[in-house]
Amino acid sequence: MAVPTESDIDIWDDNILVDPYPTYAALREQADVVYLPKNDLYVLTRYDIIRDALGDPESFSSTSIGFNPMVNEALQGTSLASDPPVHTQLRATLSENLTPRALRGLKVVIDEKADKRVAELAASGSFEAIDSLARAFPIEIVADLIGFQGHVKDNMLRWGQAAMQVLGPLNQRTQENFPIAGELYGWCSSVTAEDLTPGSIGRGIFDAETRGDIPQGTAGHIIHQYLGAGVDTTIASIGNIIALFGHHPEQFKLVRENPALVPAAFAEVLRYWAPIHVWGRKATRDVEIDGVTIPAGAQVGILFGAGNRDPRHYENPDTFDVLRNPVDHLAFGYGPHGCAGQGLAKLEAHAIIEALARRVESLTISDEVRVPSNMTRSFDELQVVKVVAA
Amino acid sequence: MRIELDRPRCEGHGLCEEAAPKLMHLDDDGELVIDVPEVDGLNLVAAEAAVRVCPVAALRLAA
Ligand code: HEM
Ligand code: SF4
Repeated sequence: MAVPTESDIDIWDDNILVDPYPTYAALREQADVVYLPKNDLYVLTRYDIIRDALGDPESFSSTSIGFNPMVNEALQGTSLASDPPVHTQLRATLSENLTPRALRGLKVVIDEKADKRVAELAASGSFEAIDSLARAFPIEIVADLIGFQGHVKDNMLRWGQAAMQVLGPLNQRTQENFPIAGELYGWCSSVTAEDLTPGSIGRGIFDAETRGDIPQGTAGHIIHQYLGAGVDTTIASIGNIIALFGHHPEQFKLVRENPALVPAAFAEVLRYWAPIHVWGRKATRDVEIDGVTIPAGAQVGILFGAGNRDPRHYENPDTFDVLRNPVDHLAFGYGPHGCAGQGLAKLEAHAIIEALARRVESLTISDEVRVPSNMTRSFDELQVVKVVAA
Repeated sequence: MRIELDRPRCEGHGLCEEAAPKLMHLDDDGELVIDVPEVDGLNLVAAEAAVRVCPVAALRLAA
């Protein structure tokens, strides 16, 4: 069996992080699997291969979802970093509060909050969309949900960003963020029920621990994962909604005219700009893909965004099209580890898109600011220079 | 072919129902009910679509 072809790029190069799509296209055209010597990493580039790998935890283990040994060590024992059969157990506890069934009661509140926020912004004439909407909204929702108050709420953005950054290789961004991720880790190890608002889901997780429904000491882990996995990604996706509607007014118009398109529009936003750049797995054995071998023990990198633009799977993949309805996009992963929080992410994003469709007639954006980040691709600043209320 | 559900894995995302509303539905408690487990012809095509869209791979088709 042959060895995979190589590419000389650094997948965490600043320019690639800011605009990865030309690189994704080149890697995808090169092969299903490309070895990157600079990162000692085998990247998966095409839709089918990525989906197969995500659905095959026996060959692709989650013990190495991050790209440095320290973070993988720190994540041991979490659902994110474990494999079946242990994962199956942990996942059940983790997702219990996040299933669409569990979240049903929240929809009304989330819709109201989104509507109020968007109506105010629409009436303001112009606004900065990242701080005032993309960050503020999910932080408010997740804080209420888990029951965070006070200084914890103020730290959610920093902690959530750092939890993602430290999954990267040992570059400067990772080093700088370890102390901040450590604050989150420390807080989650010492948090008690009394720190969380009565009646919140966070409280409920502690009650389950007290009752013995979940093992002692797991409540903090679960809360850690909600914060680590659920804040930075959702923020990215909401910023992307505003930017893409700004770039494609005709697509926004379609959604305004037909609000039934809201779920399809969000799926397309996630397909077109995947919030997560790269995610890790470890090959548990020699894995053969299309005639080449990924050796046992190798670090694998899954490029969700490359798979989401694979012309073998999506027609005109580089076109943003709200009529496409790509329900099988890869931005939430797939299979046993498929995003446990996707019900919540959708509730939040659908609420925002519905509110925009109702409250905004048109919006004009100016240049967006992106800051390179190891794992999450998002905007740091996005000016809506003109908004016309509907 | 027969539609099989890995019940513990199903989290009620409901995408399968959207793909094959004649074959399955979420009940009032958000539990998935397979209404037509044995499928062929057009139902098989719909069942394949449902299996495909389940984000957590809880559905499969067995002979
Ligand atoms: C648009 C927003 C989001 C995106 C793009 C996203 C993306 C992902 C992806 C790609 C995975 C799979 C990881 C893997 O295969 O190893 C994942 C897993 C996960 N996500 Fe999300 N996520 C989002 C929102 C959320 C939210 C809001 C929460 C919770 C509050 C959340 C909680 C989780 C958890 C707990 C896991 C681990 C599941 C497991 O290991 O079984 N995510 N997410
Ligand atoms: S799509 Fe999958 S998880 Fe969702 S209801 Fe259907 S089988 Fe269950």
